[in-house]
Order: sequence, then structure tokens, then C-alpha cells
Amino acid sequence: MTTSRRDFLKTAGVAAGALSIASLPSWLTSVTAAEEEAANGIDKNALADVALNTARKLGVTYADIRINRYRNEFVGTREQQVQNVSRAQSFGFGVRVLYKGTWGFASSRSVTADDVKRITQQAVEIAKANSVYQRKRIALVPVEKVVTSWKSSFERDPFDVSIDDKIQFLLSLNDSAMKTKGVSFVNSFMGFVNEQKFYASTDGSRIEQYIVRANPSFTVTAVNRANGDFQTRSALGGPQQMGYEYLDKHNWKQEAQRAGEEAVMKLSAKAIEPGKYDLVLHPSHLWLTIHESVGHPTELDRSLWMEANYAGTSFLTQDKLGKLQFASKIMNFVADRTQPAGLATVGYDDEGVPGQRWHLIKDGLFVDWQTTRDLAAMTGQKKSYGCNHGDSWGSISFPRMPNVSLQPGPNNTTLDDLIAGVENGILIYGDGSYSIDQQRYNFQFGGQVFWEIKNGKRGEMLRDVAYQSRTTDFWNSCDGLGGQATYELGGSFNDGKGEPGQSNAVSHGCPVARFRQVNVLNTARK
Amino acid sequence: MLFTENEARAICEKLLSYVKADDAAVGVGSENYGHLRFASNAFTTSGSRENVNVGVTVWIDKKRGAASTNEIDDESLKATVALAEQLARISPVDREYMPTLGKQTYKPVNGYVDATSNISVTARAKTINDVITACEKSKVVGAGFHQARGSAGANATKNGNFIYERSSLVSLATTARTPDGTSSGYFLRNHYDVGKLDTGRVANEAIRKALDARNPRVLEPGAYPVILEPQAVADLLGFFAFSFDARSAEEGRSPFSLPGGKTKLGEKIFDERINVYSDPWHPDLPGSQSAQAGLPAQKITLVRNGVLENLVYSRFWAKQKGKEPTPGPVNSIMESSQPPIAVEDMIKSMDRGLLLGRFWYIRGVDPRTALQTGLTRDGIWYIENGKIQYAVKNFRFNQSLMELLAPGNVDMIGKAERVGSSEGQGGNASLLPALKVKAFHFTSQSEAV
Repeated sequence: MTTSRRDFLKTAGVAAGALSIASLPSWLTSVTAAEEEAANGIDKNALADVALNTARKLGVTYADIRINRYRNEFVGTREQQVQNVSRAQSFGFGVRVLYKGTWGFASSRSVTADDVKRITQQAVEIAKANSVYQRKRIALVPVEKVVTSWKSSFERDPFDVSIDDKIQFLLSLNDSAMKTKGVSFVNSFMGFVNEQKFYASTDGSRIEQYIVRANPSFTVTAVNRANGDFQTRSALGGPQQMGYEYLDKHNWKQEAQRAGEEAVMKLSAKAIEPGKYDLVLHPSHLWLTIHESVGHPTELDRSLWMEANYAGTSFLTQDKLGKLQFASKIMNFVADRTQPAGLATVGYDDEGVPGQRWHLIKDGLFVDWQTTRDLAAMTGQKKSYGCNHGDSWGSISFPRMPNVSLQPGPNNTTLDDLIAGVENGILIYGDGSYSIDQQRYNFQFGGQVFWEIKNGKRGEMLRDVAYQSRTTDFWNSCDGLGGQATYELGGSFNDGKGEPGQSNAVSHGCPVARFRQVNVLNTARK
Repeated sequence: MLFTENEARAICEKLLSYVKADDAAVGVGSENYGHLRFASNAFTTSGSRENVNVGVTVWIDKKRGAASTNEIDDESLKATVALAEQLARISPVDREYMPTLGKQTYKPVNGYVDATSNISVTARAKTINDVITACEKSKVVGAGFHQARGSAGANATKNGNFIYERSSLVSLATTARTPDGTSSGYFLRNHYDVGKLDTGRVANEAIRKALDARNPRVLEPGAYPVILEPQAVADLLGFFAFSFDARSAEEGRSPFSLPGGKTKLGEKIFDERINVYSDPWHPDLPGSQSAQAGLPAQKITLVRNGVLENLVYSRFWAKQKGKEPTPGPVNSIMESSQPPIAVEDMIKSMDRGLLLGRFWYIRGVDPRTALQTGLTRDGIWYIENGKIQYAVKNFRFNQSLMELLAPGNVDMIGKAERVGSSEGQGGNASLLPALKVKAFHFTSQSEAV
């Protein structure tokens, strides 16, 4: 979250995260938000006509309007206390226009026909002011007109589950975590998001989407007060595009108990001796390395220096496409906005392009980019892969990451099979500290739990482990992939990018994988 | 349109009139926000947002519920209060409940300028055109971000407190890269008054750094003496004043913890010239009048002459420990108790070391020592015999902030400047000095530019 947003929340005196969110009366009355909006005289199609007709009259070459409602719920606990129960909602619209090859955008929480007209004029005014000095005109590749609706896959809408059930679930999870002697604290939470999105454009498309995501997690802390040491162990299960059924499908309570045991074990675990090690990485850890070092460098806007001032550019330059051996030949990375439970899975992106699946890395070779309609036009491509996303009605949509996943190996290779091939190595579970440079060459990742591997067998627990590597060296050092049975989906609920900063939810699936001779640090030493 | 005090008060009173709960805190906020990005010496995205936010927190039998909305018609306000009360009824007792404050008296802060909040889109377009034109003349490729915001809001309690505040902020960041992609420079500044933001300086400094950082050489990683410009200090320590939490220190989970549940309070933890404090009325860095839960903000010294003088007690934790709750921090200021030394003089005094102006992707590695990892970015230079010799390639670092400022490691301290963290996109500000330190730990090279 950007600090500017936090400042605003501070002014408003509400809980963090409340700005970009969701609907109240519907929960109290069981009336759907759409019905309520209709009852309040909000006809999205009629408002879209106002925006698109106004924009056309003012001479734009393209316009879209997004009228969106966001609902968020958060329940947070520690030990036997409930710390925070909150629900929030945000409703509003944004109009994006392209005038003389220059973007303009304006948005408001006041969703009336008069305001839609006024805000559309404002969007055009911004585009016109900037177009006076524009050097490179922006164009869009075409997309087929579509009038449809789409709903993400879920069994139980989390907004229909009682808060009491959620609190009891978390307090019971905390009990499990606190069972182990030596556990000092546990913090747990569950967050849910519902996006109700309406999109209309001058291409003639009208698309409604209803998306639900779930984000449960916890962190257990063990403190050794005698020597001032403390260690934490966070949940290995990540957020998913699922409903409340996710709480039943993953064994959270059993994992919390194991986390308690492991947090205590970490206090007396063996310190890692820095050096080169073979690494066996569990999906609960590897998803984040994929996100940072495969997901971000294959964003075409970064390669074109569009993000140079903030997120950075990419070591993947245009000339490397189809030539660079990014990873070892056993590796295939697929971008996929249709992946079941994937956080970035959609029916359509925020400029009317359908969700798609395509290879970014095929047999280790770098073969394609993540694109939007304007990026595709800049590089002479005929179609967009549908990566346009705005995190709120008040945010201009721009290129964001689809789900990017490493495909499992063709055999039924298990975690034990990979460990058996290591003489001196480390097995890592869970995501920890992470940092990567602005072109995505050099990275450092920690984890949650580290186990020594000696002569093909898992040994003692280790602590203070982080590994540093160079993206292509690291991925080319992979010589073993688990089979489909080892494949799991990790992900981030709040991946930041852009100016002003926007958040994106994105998943990364992968099997267990083995990497040879990676540089490992002891983070407790200088 | 931003809420006037009367409008904000009316909504707060309306919300409180709907409250049936034992206690309540309500807040309303309004925002005007505009932004413009450029990249590859061309305009990219630009937009505006007008929004409001209403938050309600209530307690029924010490059970807490909270809800918020951005719809402010009477029905939505009523529904938001009703939802918060519904959530409170089904929640367990909030063991950390503290009654909301009664009427408080606040000393005004002036951190709002209308011209910032209502910035002209044509003037802004011309400003960015001037930045791009300067980049084109110097044959570099410019990218950057301009944002301007006005906020106005109020908080009120069922026990009778009310405070209305306005603030504004404008920032400009610019990155200049040589067309071959081998060199990059960056500069960022912000202010609450658009008339005091020197946009020409931002562009010129970014361009100068990009040109000066050409032809970088490779240096081996290791511990080097370094000069950190205020931007680099802001990237590392921008939120430093906000990290002195008493509870986590006393619970053994902070770099200010000692074994046995004790803390480092009263110990000399930093160089004896270092002072860290918060001051709501600092003319260059106006903070909020209101600290935690509406306590009237006061000037608070956290570190005086290197000694840890105060930890920050929340109202709950203060009650547990028999202390007074801390009326801050509301901003972050680090200053030397000795006369400041200019960066040019720091360079002249350096036998061998590095000068750098920005860190990137900083993340915590070990909270016990405030060990951070991250990278240098947008210009790092080798100094020998008091002169800059050549640019060098970037590094990854692993550095404890406690060791960075520890007695014996700080060599010189500059004048505190208003600067925002680059990862925070200039949306925040601190007053921080340049630092010359004896050892900074670079652990590997980075090819990134």
C-alpha cells in the first residue's frame, strides 16, 4: 500500500485497506448489490451511454467506463483475542479516454448521470492538456465486441458466512498453534474480497464480472526471553480465487500446530554455514521466486522502459525474444488468466480482452511477453494477451501480471526423489524475506523453514538461510522437477506496481524443484 | 471537492446520532487527487480521482465492530453504523478496548495549500513538458511521476472529541537513462506547497546523475565507507521514527529488546550526535495535530544524543504498564546536535569510499537487528583522496540499521532535508540528513541499471 493512501486513511480514521472496498446494505438485507443499485436508480448501461456519447462528441478515438463495487472483509485475531473485525465497501466509476494518442482518466464516487458527464469531460480535458506536448501517440490493437457476464468459481460466498464462524475458526487455529510449549504468540487473519465490475467501451462491449478471493493466513512467534532471540513461522498456504470452501480444503489447523512446533524448533536450529548448496524448493516457497524473477521481467511495459521511474525496466530486452535460454530445457512457464483458483483469473481484462493462456518460457527459451492493447500496438503485434487491470474504479487500468506458473515435470517425480539426488543441500518451505533489483537480475530470498539435506536424506533443521542468485543462472541450474502430484498454487494478494501504486492479486503454481550450487548466506552474520 | 469543517462535522454528528452502541469513533475523509506519468520522453497515463470515505468503529459491552463506506447518503450512513453494531454484537470482548477520548484541544498545524490541492492540469502538462524537453536536450530518456493531493477530514467520538484537518502534497520524481541503457539517474522531492516544489532541480539532478554515472566499473562487494545522500537515507530510514514501539520491544520482538523482557531504554544505541524526534509544527514538515486515537500531538524525542529516550506506548499498552500514552510520532526527523556538514565536504574528507543517492527494494531480513537487504540504484561513485573518481556498478547490501547508526560507525552528519522515500513514490516525507559512515556492507554485485 502506498503511504499516500495510508495518509488518507489516517485522515478518515478507519482501518487500513478500507479505502478500496465494498458494500454494506446488501449484507444486511440479503439484497444483491446489483438489485440495490437498480433500486437506487443506477442503470449502468444508461450511465455508460452518457460517458461514451460525451467522450465521442469531444473527439476521442477510444473511451471506456468501469462502474465497480468492491467489498472487503477482514477478521484478525491474536491468541484468544479478536483484534479487528471490519467490513468495507467502495463504489464508483472511472472513465478512460484516448485523445490524439494521449490517455486521460477521471473518476468519482458520485455515480449519477450528471457526474458521469462531468467526469468524462474532465478525463478529456486532462488528455487534451497533455496531448499538446505529446511526442509518441498511443494506439490500441482491436478487440472483438462482446456483451456478456462472468463469475469466478466458488462454492460458498464468504460474504454469506457468519462472522462468528470465522472468529471461531481463527481462535481454534490459534489454539492449535499455541499447543506447543515455547510458542509465545500467534496472529491469524482471514480477508475476503468481492469485485463487482462493469465495463463498457466505444468498441461496443458491455461486460459484467463477479469475482471472489480468499486470503487466510497466520504467523506463529516463539521468543527465547533468556537470550533475546525470537523466531516466526508463517502459513504456507497462500491466497486463492476461491470462496469460503478454501478454509475446509486446506488443513489450516494441522498446519498451525506444525507451525508452532517449527517456530520453537527454529530457536535451537543449526546455523547455516554460508556457501554453495543444492536447493530443493517447495511450491510454498518457489512461487515467490517465480513471481519476482519470471513474472516481472516478462512484462512488456518494463522492457519498453514504461516503468523506469519506479518498478524498473527488465533485463529481457526486445532482442532476447526467441533467443535467450532463460531456464533449463525442462522448464516451461505459462501465463494463464484462465487457471482454476488463480488470483488473476478473469473472464475479460479491463479493456475487454478475454482471459488467455500462453507460454512465456518454452523448453527454457524466452518466447513471449505479457501484453495489453497499447503495448501490443507499440510492438507491432496484432492482438493483446489481456493483461490490463485497474485495482479500483478510481485507478487507471494498466499492464498487470497474469498468473504465471511453472509446469510440472512429465514423470511422477516426488519430493523424496529430488532429495535423493542431493549430497549437500537445503530444503526450503514457505516464502520469507525477498528483494530483487529493478531489472530483475539479482535476487535474494529467505523462507519459513529450512532443512539440511545430507547424502540424499532430509536432516536437521537449519536457520538464518537466504540464497542470492542471478535470474538466468538460477533457472538454468534447475535439473529436477516434481510431477503433477507435487504441484501447488501460491500467490500474492497485493502485488504493487505503477504510479500511483496499484495492487494486483496474482497466483503462481509450481511443482517441487531442484537447483544446483546456489549461493547461500547466513542472515544472522554480517 | 474537499469537505469543509462544517460539512465534515455535520456527517460526523449524523453518524454519531445513529449510534446506539456504548462507545464510538467515526471518521470522514475527502480527497482530490491528480497524477501524470511520463516515460520514454512521452506522456503515458494521467488521471484524477475524487473520493470520500466514512469509517465507523463502535463498542458494545467492550465488543468492537467496524465498517466503512464511500457512499454518504443518509441510508448508507445508517447502514454503515448498523453494520458496525451488528459486527460488534457478534464479536468477542475486545480485551484491548480503551474508551474513546472526550473533548481535546489541538494546536493548529499549517500543512495545506489550496493551489496544491486544485492544481491546474494545463500548468502541470507544461511542467512535465519542460522536464521532457530538458531530457531531450541532454540526450537522455526521461521517465517520471507527478502527483498532487488535497485531503480534508474529521474524526469524532461519542465521548465528545472532534478534530478537522486538511493537508496537501505535491511530488515530482524523475528518472533519466542514457539511450544505451547503461546509466541512470533519479531525483525526487515533494512539498505541501506546489509553489515551493523546485521541479527544475528535480529534472536537472536526475539528468546530471545519469550523465555522471556513465561507464561504471566493477568493484568487489564488501564493507566500504559510504556517503549516503538524503534520498538514500530516506529510502533506508524514512519511517524510522515510527519503529520505536514499546510493546514489541517489551515483548522481545524488536531491535530495542534486551533479554529477560527488558529494553534498551536509556542506553546509548546510536552515535552521540544523532537525535530522532517528531514535531507536528516543524515548518518544513507539518505533521498531523492528532496522534494515536486523537491524542493532541506533541513534540516527542525518541533518541537524544544517541541515547534511546522514549519508546512509543499505545493507549492500551500504556495502561497495562502504568505509563502515559505517547502523543506521537506524527512525523520523522533526524538531526545532528553538531553543525551540519555539506556532502561536498564529506567527499573531500574521504580517503576511499563510495557515494550513493538511492536504495531500492529494501526488505527486512532479521528484525532482531533491523537487518535490511536491498540494492543501490541510479548512481553510485567511487571516491579516492577526496575526489569522485568514477561510477561503479550497483550492489546488493545486507546492513543492520542498528549497526549503521551505532557509536563508532557514523563519521559525519549533514543538514536535514525534506525528502520522501522512493519506494513510497514521494507520497510521504521525512527530514533526514546525508550521512557519512565508516562501514556499509555490500554482499554481491548487481548488473541492474
